[in-house]
Amino acid sequence: MTYSISKIVVPIDFSGESRHAIARAVNIAGDASRLHLVHVLLPLDTVSPGVLLGDVSDDSRRKTVTEKLNTLAAEHGAAEAAVSVLLGTPGMEIADYAKDQDADLIVIPSHGYHGIKRMFLGSVAERVIRHAECSVLVLRRSDAG
Amino acid sequence: MRLTQVVSSRWLRLVVLLCVAGLNIEYTSAQDAEAVSPKSVESAETSSERGLVQQFNDALKPVDKYFGKVNGYIEQIIFYPVPLGGKDTIPAAVLLLLLGATFFTIRMGFINIRGFKHAVMVTAGKYDNPDDQGEVTHFQALTAALSATVGLGNIAGVAIAICIGGPGATLWMILAGFIGMSSKFVECTLGQKYREERPDGRIMGGAMYYLSRGLPELGLGPLGKVLGIMFAVLCVGGSFAGGNSFQVKMSLGAVAQTLPFLAAPEVVGAADYRWIYGLLMSIVTGMVIIGGIRRIASAAEKIVPAMCGIYVLAALVILLKNIDQIPMALQLILNDAFTGTAVSGGLVGVLVVGFQRAAFSNEAGVGSAAIAHAAAKTEYPVREGMVALLGPFIDTVVICSMTALVIVITGAWDPVEHPEFASLIETKNGAALTSVAMDTQIPGFRYVLSVAVVLFAFSTMISWSYYGERCWAFLFGDNASMSYRIIFLIFTFLGSIVSATNVLNFGDLMIFGMAIPNIIGVVLLSGKVRKDLDEYWQKLKNGDLEVSGEKSVADFGE
Repeated sequence: MTYSISKIVVPIDFSGESRHAIARAVNIAGDASRLHLVHVLLPLDTVSPGVLLGDVSDDSRRKTVTEKLNTLAAEHGAAEAAVSVLLGTPGMEIADYAKDQDADLIVIPSHGYHGIKRMFLGSVAERVIRHAECSVLVLRRSDAG
Repeated sequence: MRLTQVVSSRWLRLVVLLCVAGLNIEYTSAQDAEAVSPKSVESAETSSERGLVQQFNDALKPVDKYFGKVNGYIEQIIFYPVPLGGKDTIPAAVLLLLLGATFFTIRMGFINIRGFKHAVMVTAGKYDNPDDQGEVTHFQALTAALSATVGLGNIAGVAIAICIGGPGATLWMILAGFIGMSSKFVECTLGQKYREERPDGRIMGGAMYYLSRGLPELGLGPLGKVLGIMFAVLCVGGSFAGGNSFQVKMSLGAVAQTLPFLAAPEVVGAADYRWIYGLLMSIVTGMVIIGGIRRIASAAEKIVPAMCGIYVLAALVILLKNIDQIPMALQLILNDAFTGTAVSGGLVGVLVVGFQRAAFSNEAGVGSAAIAHAAAKTEYPVREGMVALLGPFIDTVVICSMTALVIVITGAWDPVEHPEFASLIETKNGAALTSVAMDTQIPGFRYVLSVAVVLFAFSTMISWSYYGERCWAFLFGDNASMSYRIIFLIFTFLGSIVSATNVLNFGDLMIFGMAIPNIIGVVLLSGKVRKDLDEYWQKLKNGDLEVSGEKSVADFGE
């Protein structure tokens, strides 16, 4: 049985760790065009001034994030990577996206949240592992205990 | 993961339980009401025949008592009566806000005066550049911030303050509003300066951000972290009570003037329909914050400036109708401001009442508005600070003064000369007092006012739910909003039926508690604001900013 890697999904939350994940994924794939950089937007609130009075909408958010994903990809030598912006619960959306795209691998960093933040946020990586149907590479933070 | 599941399932159970309990109360109290109302008086004594709303309040008594105790301790700190010589005292939080406002006014070289004209120009859109980072224009940010502060305080609170403090309180209220403009300038400039931008372009800012991100620049990292968390916790608490339950309770009181069946029952066990109002408010608010129907909130927020306009206009009509009495009223205000003999308080008494009313109303120094102003599109943080200083001006110097003048001119403050107002003063029903006073001058205006009051309350709740949710996200992460929204709605409903005053006072304490971490942090960071202000002012004087403003308008036109 072989593990051929032709498509890698890299969830991006624009943290330092997710930048590191792009580099690792490029390394594994050998060719940046095999990468799919994905950002998941949380549902928009309905009470902030930007939503009520300004022009913040899911479309405007998608547009902004797509531009940022493209810039980020270019900065990390992955300008040919595909970028996608999804909306929903991060863990589930990433796993579903990988399935839809027939990806072979998901490369995801672990933030190592503790305490209250962990209780509320859970871990996106944990959910991805649980729901993904392909292999998942979780990058441990070097300072994680 | 498992922990999250446990937590969320617990939440779910709690919510289901509360919903069931809520429905139960509503259903049975409606039944009770129908059955009991014809014979309410004789059946009132036995507890088994008390409506469920009353039983709920009975059950809450120990909780209320507990809150009373806790309030006592917190009050001793936040509202500690600082002696001012003689018998007179001033609550510590009010003193802190006053000292803060005075300090900022001097430190920023009377920015409230010299920046005023520029503030109006910026708000009018002269410097708007659609390419600047941010969510909203200067005017929209000011609208959002104002909808949080303009509300019952301006209508009901001021009326009661004039009755307690005397007409002279008006002068001190205006003065406090005037120096409060400087506090607002400094805190909102900081809100912009230390805001965070999310990858999707949304802005996160406010006191919790400038405390936790600004103070480390001064080598005060741990203090910043503690103050930031303290502010966020108090803001969440304040958003549940003062910005929510209290608004429902107060607006219900005002609405019940026009729709008497919504009033609290005078006889124990009598029909109690207050829950209808609470349920309606929760449904409408829930449709916005959980259902995602933003059009309702959007409409309410957009109507607020118009409502303020109508209110001020009506007050001006009343003043014009009584133009011959204005010199006398002004003389009364000026004389009483320095003697305090009109009611009883003396000079210090009238001063404290006036200052306190302004602080309660415009929230300058509390740090809340910085959350809204942080979202504005601008290249210079100072510029948004300028816009923000118009907040206390509109809220206190204009709107509160209008209420005060109407109350003074109509004589509604004076139960000796005008006994028809005595019972309203006695029960401290400020909303009704203003309503009746204005209605005598403009017949039918109380109906307009009832609508205005509900809209003001609703828009205040929407704005405070935004403040609270941002602080909740600061504490627990962006993904935790749903739990906040559910708790918020529970408090909305409770606001209509809970008679537990201590629980509500607790919320008031929290809003004033926010001033403690905020003022400490803002004073420490004020040097940075002064530096930015000087640079900005220099550019403005050199005409550097005019060019970019015109250019951006030209670009936009193409």
